[in-house]
Order: sequence, then structure tokens, then C-alpha cells
Amino acid sequence: MNNHLGVYETHIKVLQEEIAALQCQKEKNDRELTIHIGGSMKDALLSMAGRETGAKTGNSLRDIRAHLTAEIKELEEDLVRQTKMNGIVLTNCSVKTLEKNSRKMVQQYRLAGHCSLLGFQVEIEVTDVQEDAAVVTTITVLNIIMDTTECKEFGKFVSGVEENRDLLLFFRTLRRFSDRCDDRHRTFQHFQKLYPGVVSLPGGCRSEIMLIQSPKLPGCSLTLSWTIEVSSGGEVTPRLDLVSKMPEQALQFDSRMAIENAPDAFQCLLRVLGVEASIQALIQSVSQF
Amino acid sequence: MLEMKANHLAVKQQEVWQVKVGREEQLNATLQALIIKRDQLKAELKANTSLQNLRTLLDKTNAPCERDVEDMENGSENSQTLLLMARHTQLKDLLHAHHLIGGYNVLLTKGKGVCVSIATAYEGLYLETYNLEINLQCKIRISRHNIPPFIPLETMVKQGNMQTDIRAFLDTLSQYLNAYVGRRQQLHLVKEIHNSVQVMESNALCTILVLMFTVPGEKARAALCTLEYNDHTQCLPTRVLIESEDTALASSPQWKKDQALLLETPVHRALVTLKKKGSIA
Repeated sequence: MNNHLGVYETHIKVLQEEIAALQCQKEKNDRELTIHIGGSMKDALLSMAGRETGAKTGNSLRDIRAHLTAEIKELEEDLVRQTKMNGIVLTNCSVKTLEKNSRKMVQQYRLAGHCSLLGFQVEIEVTDVQEDAAVVTTITVLNIIMDTTECKEFGKFVSGVEENRDLLLFFRTLRRFSDRCDDRHRTFQHFQKLYPGVVSLPGGCRSEIMLIQSPKLPGCSLTLSWTIEVSSGGEVTPRLDLVSKMPEQALQFDSRMAIENAPDAFQCLLRVLGVEASIQALIQSVSQF
Repeated sequence: MLEMKANHLAVKQQEVWQVKVGREEQLNATLQALIIKRDQLKAELKANTSLQNLRTLLDKTNAPCERDVEDMENGSENSQTLLLMARHTQLKDLLHAHHLIGGYNVLLTKGKGVCVSIATAYEGLYLETYNLEINLQCKIRISRHNIPPFIPLETMVKQGNMQTDIRAFLDTLSQYLNAYVGRRQQLHLVKEIHNSVQVMESNALCTILVLMFTVPGEKARAALCTLEYNDHTQCLPTRVLIESEDTALASSPQWKKDQALLLETPVHRALVTLKKKGSIA
């Protein structure tokens, strides 16, 4: 009989140890996993756990699924609204908890997405500290990778932002920079379509250069360079400059110094007519040669 | 006598036996409870792992086919629910990310309007959030807000294109607010870090800052530095003026360089450099 009881006691001890280990794993999960389990999610998790052990649970799994589906629909609508309002599309977000205790939490976010045609990958380390009544949130590490193709102009600004961990400044500026890039792209494409014999884009339609040449005057060309400068403070300034190229002999015939003065004349045009009308005027005058 | 003894022994044996049975039942009950608890924990952990795996799959493909999901779950009944849960967490994370990167957190209000939040931050530190309640009926107008009065909201609304492009309007407002908060934070840091520098004057919008430095030397001299921030969308000054009773000081090449530094570096950091260089105490 004593042996019999001893077997029970051994079993109990084994189970207690097993449970302790499982509890430990659960706590580790709670600390590391950042999947926010709450509300209908918690119900679902418990329900599934309950089903496996054959216990009876509150809501049926079908009710829980319906609830989850409804919430998902709301969340998806919310995401569409945020995306539209922010002008930033986030395609991926993964979160990892690096440190967590009663006063402090450190998380690492990895985001991927794009703003119009400019793609980015951002890694952020965020620290939340409970101070008095409020939680103070600070970004402790910021790493940004941009699709390099058209972002040489943006590169220096990005380095500054990473150093100062100015995440919000980065995204505010990215939006404005992207808008200016889109303006340039649209305008260049428009003129290339309209005047295919005169206008060419040697660097592609997302580049900063537009070449204007009259087929009747090879060797003479006007190069329009449309750069978009970004200051360390996030000011986005488009700059248009015209450079003319003329072979020696042609210059002799340029009695009115029209070609030599073209760059300055263009700047005047810009101030008066604006970008599109100025470029239009330029192209038309060249096509008339 | 013997009979009594035998009876006594029998009763005793009966008692011992009952105690043992009672103890056994007790132990059994404990055992059963522990088994249930262990199975529950195991199931919870398993569900959690499945959830993690599904979430990883969702992040990669965004539209996992039924087969992938079922492969993972070994065809368990829970796969549907777990997939929904994974999607739920993915959406929550994406929404939180939008908030983290300074998104406008648009909330629909009853009565055809929206509530918009503008987040501010400086050098990685998240500061306060400003809110606007915008009425979207026929003419778009702002019904409530907590924007401080020294930010020219009315002007921005009048001159801007809020009717046609709300995002552009919010972007401009956000620029002003973040720049203000940035300048204010710089002033806060100057007061906190640089005890030897005295703040003589500042204003609510933090567009004027007058500091008094002590210039080290055989005879310590005072210098007054005025920083003017005329571009309210920026955190850097547009003009820096340094004055001192010692006129030679103000026009020395050393100070010209220092002036340039103050124009291109946020003041709390510029002061650190100036101290290191020995320009100020």
C-alpha cells in the first residue's frame, strides 16, 4: 500500500516540475513575444487551449471566429484610412521585444514600405520608460535603407536623421521629397511624349536630366537639370538649371548671344511663367530652329 | 481477553486502512488537477507557437494558401482560427507602426467628421501630441483643437488649401508644431546641461533666444548671444549676433567661426563644442 502511495507522490512531483518548466516558458513568451493578446484574441487562445484538453469554454469557436473576422474588417478599413492620410504604404512590420521589466521595455521594429515609388526599410529600437505618471518613449537606434536608384540626393539627409534619431522628420521629409520627385517625373514624361524628336531623357524618366536638342542642329543642346535638394532640417527645394552646349562655329552665328544667355533667361522665365510653361517655351524655341 | 485484543486490532487495522484510502483519494485528486493544468499550459504554448509561425508565414506571403496553413497545423481544426488571429496581430502591428512613424491617427467621429492627431518628437524623444477635430460636411473646417495660440493656425487655414488637400495642410501644421517643439526642447536642454550659460530672454514660440556666456581668460568677460529663428518651420537660427563690452572679442575670427557653428548646429550641441574649444566657460 505504501508503495502505491509513493507512486502517486512521485507522479505528482514530476508533474509539478513539468508545470514549473511550462510556466517558465510561458513567462518567457510573455516577455519576448509582442503579439498583443487581448480581448477576442485571448478568448480564442484560451478556447483553443480548452478544446485540446476537452474542457468546456465560454464562447464557441465559431462565435470567436466571427468576432475576429469583424474586428479584422474594422482594422483593415482603419489601415486603409491611415495609409491614405499618411501617404506612406507599410508592407511589413515585425516587432521583437529585447528587454522588458516593470519599469522599462525595449522593442525592435523592422518596417518595410514605400512612399509613392520610393522604397525604404527602417529598423527602429524604441525604449519605453515609466517615469512618474507618464510613459516616456525614446528612439534609441535608427537605421534606414533607401532604394538607391534615385535617392543619391536624399542620402546625406538620411545619415543626419539616423544620427539624431529623428524618425518623424524622416517620414515628413520623405513624403515631401517624394511629391517633388513625382512632379519632376510627371513633367519630364509629359514633355517627352509631346516632343519626342526634341526631348530626350538620357538617364531615364526618374532622373534629373532632360536633354533638349533640335534634330536640325546636332551638336547644339540644352541640358535642363532639375535637382531636388534636401537640407538637414528637412527643407525640400527643387532647383532647375539650364546648361547650353554649342560647337565653336555655331557660336559665331549667335550674334544676339541667345544661346549664351539662355541659362539666365531661363531663370527669369521660371520666375514669371513657372516650371511647365518655361520648359514649354524653351522646347518650342528650340524646335523652331 | 484475546477476543478483546483481536477486536481492538481489527478496529485499528480498519482505521489505518481508512486513512490510507483517504490519503490515496487526496493524492489522486491532486494528481488529476495537476494533469489538467499541465495539459492546459501545453495547449496554450502550442497555440502560441502556431500563432507565431502563422504570423511569420503571413508576413512573408501575405496570402498563404490553405495548404501551407494546414501543413503547419497538421490539419487541426484550429488552423482557421489561428490564421485569423495571425492576421489580427499583423494588422495591429501595422497600425501601431503608422502611429510610431508619426502618422496622423485618423479616427472617424460621429457626425461626419474626423479626429486627427499630430505627433511631435525631437532627437528621438517623443513629445506631446496635438489634436484637431475636423468637420467634413460641405465646407471643411476645424471644430476643435488644442494647438497653442502662437501657432498661426487661422492663417494656415486661410492661405492653405485645406479644402482640396487636407494632407498638405496637416503636413504644414506638423512642420510648424515639430519645429516649435524642437526649439523648445533645445532651450530645455540648454538650461539643463549648461549651467554656466544664462538664459536672459526667450519667448513662447521660442523664436528668440538671448544667452549670456562667460568668456574665459585672465579677466572673465561676458558676451551676449542673440539667436533669431525667423523661419518658424526650422529648428536652426536664421541670425546669430554676438555682443560684448570687449569689442575686439566680438569681431575676432574665433567668434566668427563660433557664430557660424551656432547657425548650423542646434544650440544645446553647439554650446558643448564651444566649451570644448574654450570659447566659453
